[in-house]
Amino acid sequence: MASYSRAAQQWATFARAWYLLDAKMQPPGKIAAATVIRLEGRHKPIYHALNDCGDHVVIINTRHIAFSGNKWEQKVYSSHTGYPGGFKQVTATQLHLKDPTAIVKLAVYRMLPKNLQRRTLMQRLHLFPEDVIPEDIEKNLLQEIPQPRAVPKRLDEYTPEEIAAFPKVWTPPKDFRRK
Amino acid sequence: SHSGFPSLFTFAVVEVTEGNTTTIEGRIIEEAEAPPPPNPSGQCPICRWNLKHKYDYVDVLLLSQFIRSDGGMLPRRVTGLCLEEHKKVAVCVQMAHRAGLLPNHRPPLPEGHIAKKPKLNRYLTRWPVRSAKPIWKRGPKWCKKPFPVGHPLLKDNVKYTQKPLCLNH
Repeated sequence: MASYSRAAQQWATFARAWYLLDAKMQPPGKIAAATVIRLEGRHKPIYHALNDCGDHVVIINTRHIAFSGNKWEQKVYSSHTGYPGGFKQVTATQLHLKDPTAIVKLAVYRMLPKNLQRRTLMQRLHLFPEDVIPEDIEKNLLQEIPQPRAVPKRLDEYTPEEIAAFPKVWTPPKDFRRK
Repeated sequence: SHSGFPSLFTFAVVEVTEGNTTTIEGRIIEEAEAPPPPNPSGQCPICRWNLKHKYDYVDVLLLSQFIRSDGGMLPRRVTGLCLEEHKKVAVCVQMAHRAGLLPNHRPPLPEGHIAKKPKLNRYLTRWPVRSAKPIWKRGPKWCKKPFPVGHPLLKDNVKYTQKPLCLNH
């Protein structure tokens, strides 16, 4: 813009923004994909790997993420303490009950590029298990990232008018005993 | 509406008090005429309404027409579905139950027993929750053991995106 000085224009282009993402009923992989794009700064046309143009992302409701399939029982998170006999394997359920932010944190960490920038970008990620956010972070938030998955409606969330408007697909025979 | 003995017709119990006489009457409910289906020459309800590959576990309004009040499927000879559609609907109903989309179709519990709420959200679960075992060793990158998602019976469903349907993650 012509009216701003060069320093002010540069300051505004490279300013770091704070984004909010609600992880309720969302798969952690898609949440991680959306956050990694924002953390690296790939959503900006001024992106370059050396530019340090990434933004902050605040993820809330990590306790209420939803895995597709039977991954809660089948997915295993492994680690080794470094000591002999220290190989630990934990299912996703056990890990989630122990630490509700760990699954999303690991998903984002493993999706970031494997370079020295990864640790600094993880410092710009803020995870909260419920929707309670500290005041100073809440004041910084700029925009909400749209949720990657469309959450389906439960049967009791439909209004009676919608249920009545849906046609009956089959008619029961006259001697049908409905329990 | 009624308990104990099963009845032949659905009726509503109406109680009317006039002075010192109380009349309790059961009126047979005449179900309203259903609108004509778009394809009356179909063999099963799904073909008649042109829904052949167009429903999923999310379409609870359609699936709830084929289930009992305790969540089980109605028999095929009553609903009139063909075998493959009955199996598909059964699979979708199972996935909807596991996703928590049918909260009021639960089996009746013995008295005093409080149902515990599931702590974890899930969707597109193929196998029963208690039967799935952890995959301790997934294998090397070139032959990893996949996580099954969705169900192969629904692989012919209409896709509104260009992405191929992935049944193994």
